[in-house]
Amino acid sequence: MKKRLLQFFNKIEPKKGSFAHTLYDGFFTFAFTPNHTTKGGVHIRDGMDLKRTMVYVVLALQLCYLLGTYNIGHQHFVALGQHTALLDGFHLKLIYGLIQVLPIFVVTHVVGLGIEFYYAYKKGHGIEEGFLVSGALIPLIMPPDIPLWMLAVAVAFAVWIGKEAFGGTGMNILNVALLARVFVFFAYPTYISGDEVWVSGLESTLAGSAADYGWIHLNLFNPLFEGWGWSTFNAASTVVDGYTGATPLSLAFQGGWENVTNTYTTSQMLWGTIPGSIGETSKPLILFGAVFLIITGIASWRIMFSMLLGAVVMSLLLNAWGATPFMEVPWYYQFYMGSFFFAMAFMATDPVTASSTNLGKWLYGFLIGFIGMIIRVLNPAYPEGWMLAILFMNVFAPLIDHYVLESNMKKRVKRAKARAAAQA
Amino acid sequence: MGEFFNIFIKAAFIENLVLAYFLGMCSYLAVSKTVKTAFGLGLAVIFVLGITMPINWLIQEYLLSETGVFGTDLTFLRFILFIAVIASMVQLVEMVVEKFSPALYNALGIFLPLITVNCAILGGSLFMVSREYNFSESVAFGLGGGFGWFLAIIAIAAIREKIRYSNVPPALRGLGMAFILTGLMGIAFMSLLGIDPAAFGN
Repeated sequence: MKKRLLQFFNKIEPKKGSFAHTLYDGFFTFAFTPNHTTKGGVHIRDGMDLKRTMVYVVLALQLCYLLGTYNIGHQHFVALGQHTALLDGFHLKLIYGLIQVLPIFVVTHVVGLGIEFYYAYKKGHGIEEGFLVSGALIPLIMPPDIPLWMLAVAVAFAVWIGKEAFGGTGMNILNVALLARVFVFFAYPTYISGDEVWVSGLESTLAGSAADYGWIHLNLFNPLFEGWGWSTFNAASTVVDGYTGATPLSLAFQGGWENVTNTYTTSQMLWGTIPGSIGETSKPLILFGAVFLIITGIASWRIMFSMLLGAVVMSLLLNAWGATPFMEVPWYYQFYMGSFFFAMAFMATDPVTASSTNLGKWLYGFLIGFIGMIIRVLNPAYPEGWMLAILFMNVFAPLIDHYVLESNMKKRVKRAKARAAAQA
Repeated sequence: MGEFFNIFIKAAFIENLVLAYFLGMCSYLAVSKTVKTAFGLGLAVIFVLGITMPINWLIQEYLLSETGVFGTDLTFLRFILFIAVIASMVQLVEMVVEKFSPALYNALGIFLPLITVNCAILGGSLFMVSREYNFSESVAFGLGGGFGWFLAIIAIAAIREKIRYSNVPPALRGLGMAFILTGLMGIAFMSLLGIDPAAFGN
């Protein structure tokens, strides 16, 4: 099988230097590790190259994708008051979720990879699949109803200005996925904040407003499901009374923890069957991915741990202050809400934009946790702080590294001098 | 004390002179090639802002306003007097730097005297007038604004040191990249926009 594939690849190899060859090379190195050897000097080459590393991150995200997809459907039907138990109407929820997620996924990749492929050809280097990770992350941090053109503009901005301008994969200063989200966040704020956008396929979240189905739901899948005798999408269904669509964070902002638990149970928040961005809701599945990344040595446990520490310290301080109901939310409940774990596991640990020294990682993570909690609780303009806190610290990561290195150098020079003096 | 602290935080992070108002861009872009010189210039700006702001406040209050010693509205002299104060303070800084750190003096070159026309400095003084700060608030605003400027310039200097090894497209090398970076940093600094330290009544 492997041999066949290799033979096939060898047979279709296009002329070197053409755009087709760049494309070919990208797919070839995706399937096989290239057998380049280093000339001159002694180097150890590992099979675990950039592409394999990227794929591990994508693998770690798969569970979030599964639950995220299903959860879109689940939230949609909960709002309509149908199939409210988690596993009821399984096929409907899954199909509904897929219809939402797949176009987002495809548009992200077509736009992002398109730009990436073009530049790889233009600059004459191999395709660096740096975008695979960003492309896997971007759909997970978008609201399910995001208009596709908006997504395309955001991805193009992030890849172009955030990455290619800096020289491509591994050179960017700000996290590409977060840059795409922050672009939507500041350019089209009504599509990515508020209580309306986290549940998909409703005209609005007011009671009595209609569900919004397209041709695909009604004319493609409904006849199919009917043929099998399963339940179908009901175009006449409306939003139930008393439904808000608010996320736990916005509830907490209005009335503290009690206000949250009136609407959601802690186990719902833990497992992530709540409205939110597509992939950020389920804590255990994210932690599973995080553990996977730590074991494979791709993500830094120092950043994760210190970020947790920073967030705990800040929420304890806020507890002590206690000027608003949100500040009084006990620190351990803060972690049930919002996207802390997703940001911690997949965003802050991005090895390109984080600090690269060990001491720097501790500082970097701690400050993200600290500032993120400040933004979440104290800033009425933004519902959640991690995206902005991470971008903020991305800006300072090189500076942290610079001073960590300087102080190391100073220490070493001093030690060397002391030794020289002792020998003399 | 609380008020002092609020204005400091606000000026340093939330309404950063460089990244929110884009003031003082010329020396910010020109001297941010290495962290070392950026650090020196940043300190100089903190000092000049922190000193000129209260002096300008005194001038505004006791010489230029109608309630001052001359008893007439002399605010049309504001610009020229503010600039004169700033210029003399910069002269002072220049002499100090030349005396104590000739290396830094040479590295900063023309940009040290050019702090005089750094818009962040005059802009700070004019903000102080239009926002009607009192004396202690103007001190806080001067120090906070200077600190924000300092942070911004050393952050971009560290980034520019880092991207020296990146494969930046030739057309963007140097200033082009610095502008893009400043914009992206501005986005990152927007994270704190909207926090009103006074709203929590400490």
